Amino acid sequence: MTVPLAPAGSPRDRARGCLLGLAAGDALGAPAENMTPEAIAARWGVLAEIEGGGTDDTEYSLFAASLLLRHGHALTSEDVAEAWRAEIVARLDGPMRGAGFSELGTVRALRRGLGPPLSGRWHPHGWSDGLAMRAAPYGIFAAGDPDEAARLAEIDGRVSHSGEGVLGGRAVAAAVAVAMTGAGPDEVVEAGLRAVPGDSWTARAARKALAIVRDGSERTSREEFARALHDSVVVKHYPWTDLAPEAVALAFSAYVRGGGEVEAAVVTAANLGRDADTTAAIAGALAGAGAGEAGVPERWARRVGPVAGRCLPVVAGRHVRDAADRLADTLTGRPEGGPVAALVGGPADGRPGGSEGPTDAG
Amino acid sequence: MSSGGGGATPPPEEDRILGAFAGLAIGDAAGWPAARHRSLRLAPWSRRLHRELDAFAEERQVTTLPVPFALNQPVEPLALGPSDDAEWLAWTASTIHENRAEAFGRLAQREDLRARISVWSALDNLAAGLGPPASGHDNPHFFDDAAAVRAVAFGAAGMDPVADAEVTNSGDGVLGAVAVATAVGALVRGAPMRQAVDAAVAALPEDTAIGHAARTAVAVAREHGDPFSAVPALDAALLDHVYSYGVTAAETVPIALALADAAMSAAGSPGSASAPGSTGSAASGAAFGAAVSAAACLASVADSAPALTGALAGAYTGYEALPRAWREAARPLAGCCLPELAGTDLLDVARTLASGGPKRSGPAQDATAQDATRQGDGAQSGLRQNGSTQRGTA
Repeated sequence: MTVPLAPAGSPRDRARGCLLGLAAGDALGAPAENMTPEAIAARWGVLAEIEGGGTDDTEYSLFAASLLLRHGHALTSEDVAEAWRAEIVARLDGPMRGAGFSELGTVRALRRGLGPPLSGRWHPHGWSDGLAMRAAPYGIFAAGDPDEAARLAEIDGRVSHSGEGVLGGRAVAAAVAVAMTGAGPDEVVEAGLRAVPGDSWTARAARKALAIVRDGSERTSREEFARALHDSVVVKHYPWTDLAPEAVALAFSAYVRGGGEVEAAVVTAANLGRDADTTAAIAGALAGAGAGEAGVPERWARRVGPVAGRCLPVVAGRHVRDAADRLADTLTGRPEGGPVAALVGGPADGRPGGSEGPTDAG
Repeated sequence: MSSGGGGATPPPEEDRILGAFAGLAIGDAAGWPAARHRSLRLAPWSRRLHRELDAFAEERQVTTLPVPFALNQPVEPLALGPSDDAEWLAWTASTIHENRAEAFGRLAQREDLRARISVWSALDNLAAGLGPPASGHDNPHFFDDAAAVRAVAFGAAGMDPVADAEVTNSGDGVLGAVAVATAVGALVRGAPMRQAVDAAVAALPEDTAIGHAARTAVAVAREHGDPFSAVPALDAALLDHVYSYGVTAAETVPIALALADAAMSAAGSPGSASAPGSTGSAASGAAFGAAVSAAACLASVADSAPALTGALAGAYTGYEALPRAWREAARPLAGCCLPELAGTDLLDVARTLASGGPKRSGPAQDATAQDATRQGDGAQSGLRQNGSTQRGTA
């Protein structure tokens, strides 16, 4: 590794661990997306080595990071919508590669002239895990302040999501914010669940999944654990794997079962299948924030390079480590600069502000 | 012209209730997915061959397949007739005075059903001990129009559809049911179409997808004047085609409201001699056909938009005004979703509901409804401010 490690436990160390863990989980899980645990076991035994590059999870997280570096705590949903219009919609001249239903639906809504929150309600995929997959930067930026992290994730989510999709983003952002303090997995997932109403699908699914982990999961095999989780939180009569309540439940439970260690959490999540790149990315972000950069297996970190911009051309060439440093520097007040400065289009703004509350929750 | 004029004798309430049911079944039969649903009555191997022929068509670049077919099987399932929507309406009418979670709970024990993703997910939730409203909320397709279809029965009976809707749906899915029950409830009690549609739209908050879409759809259809002319504009204004789940309430309910409104406003009121040389009944029957046909032209929503359009239009024209051959074709249910309904006459189910049954344990008829006329305010007096129909339950 050519970049020196930041001091252990420092904001830069945890931020790098978070986003490297996310990128590694994204890349590890990608080939297992939409597969069953049984099919994954048949093909790989245990999927533990990264085969290819990352996907939308990493690229949209970099996009979210750029929003924070530009607007800071003053970020509004209209800022987010304007960034979508200028940096995503305006650059589309054909198919939107690597996008899910919620992103495509949001683009259609924005092209119709709709804005937040209706742009996130117009398409029926408000509950997708597309916000949860990009919510980690809000937790880094609001380290130690889960309420603020959830608030910022919701401001982002109102453009593209509604209902449970917004809640999934709130839960992940709040959990990362607490993981950034070095708290253990139980405390982290409880913080995530405090960011959503108890009477929500996200809370019910996560509680069921966590009960399976805590009910002696150390005695169960990987296969038994995967089957129990699937029977508990996977919707049987729906053909896709992109439901935020399910993804957050699988990611949180894999992270807890992995004891907060990056490799254990990410491998557990990826081998559960379903939206494996997203669930492994979330589990990796949580574990990486707690363990720091050194907690991310070096054989994985070596495979994480600048993103290709396959899903979001606007972030092509950016590296999660640079975004992590920039986000961490807003916490420590270190001087601005570095290679990301030219890419995010403006100075970082760390001022507290903004007043949009969790009005779309539930 | 406004559909509120005329002054001729409107059809009686029972005829309009029968019209709502038969209208839904005719629209259900008119949409292309009906044949696909009805093929569920055939042997599984015929559908397996259908899937294999799909692969053949892809490989050999063939546009049109010789399917569905009924080789060595009865051909009746593939004849023109109603399918899923009419059956779920009949089931709803037959259980309407029962606790909704209990009625659905009985279905949750069964393995011989065919149902939408929202309904199956709700049944799975009920089986796992999760009751309403969570059963409809923790549900990937909470936004579909399964409850809106069932709400035709609640509107006809003058009952609030929300407790039923919340078993399988949430958000826009429940609002779709409220809108349909509001419109059908007003129509069977004698309201003019425009008044019923406006009341239904008013029940939908503007900052919801269904509320935004309903206002857009009604405005687009009124701009184009008649249903068929409005089809391309409705397709452009409402259907994004990103995720083709054809029964999204925010698409089908607005289209039904808009097309029923456009058709009946162009035709005038039932019973009025609005076209030279034709009876009013024939004119409104033709308007019914125009509305349902236009909905069937919107291929991506042809599963249920024609059915909902037919329910609204039929509730307005009454049963006797509907085209006779279509009325006959729409009566016998196929049993493609609820096998026990095979051969059931939908008209019998509607008559039972209109006469206050089955197992009527609810309140007596509200005198206001019996006095309602097309001109009077009485038609709306059963509508609560929030737009749901809750008549006579105080």
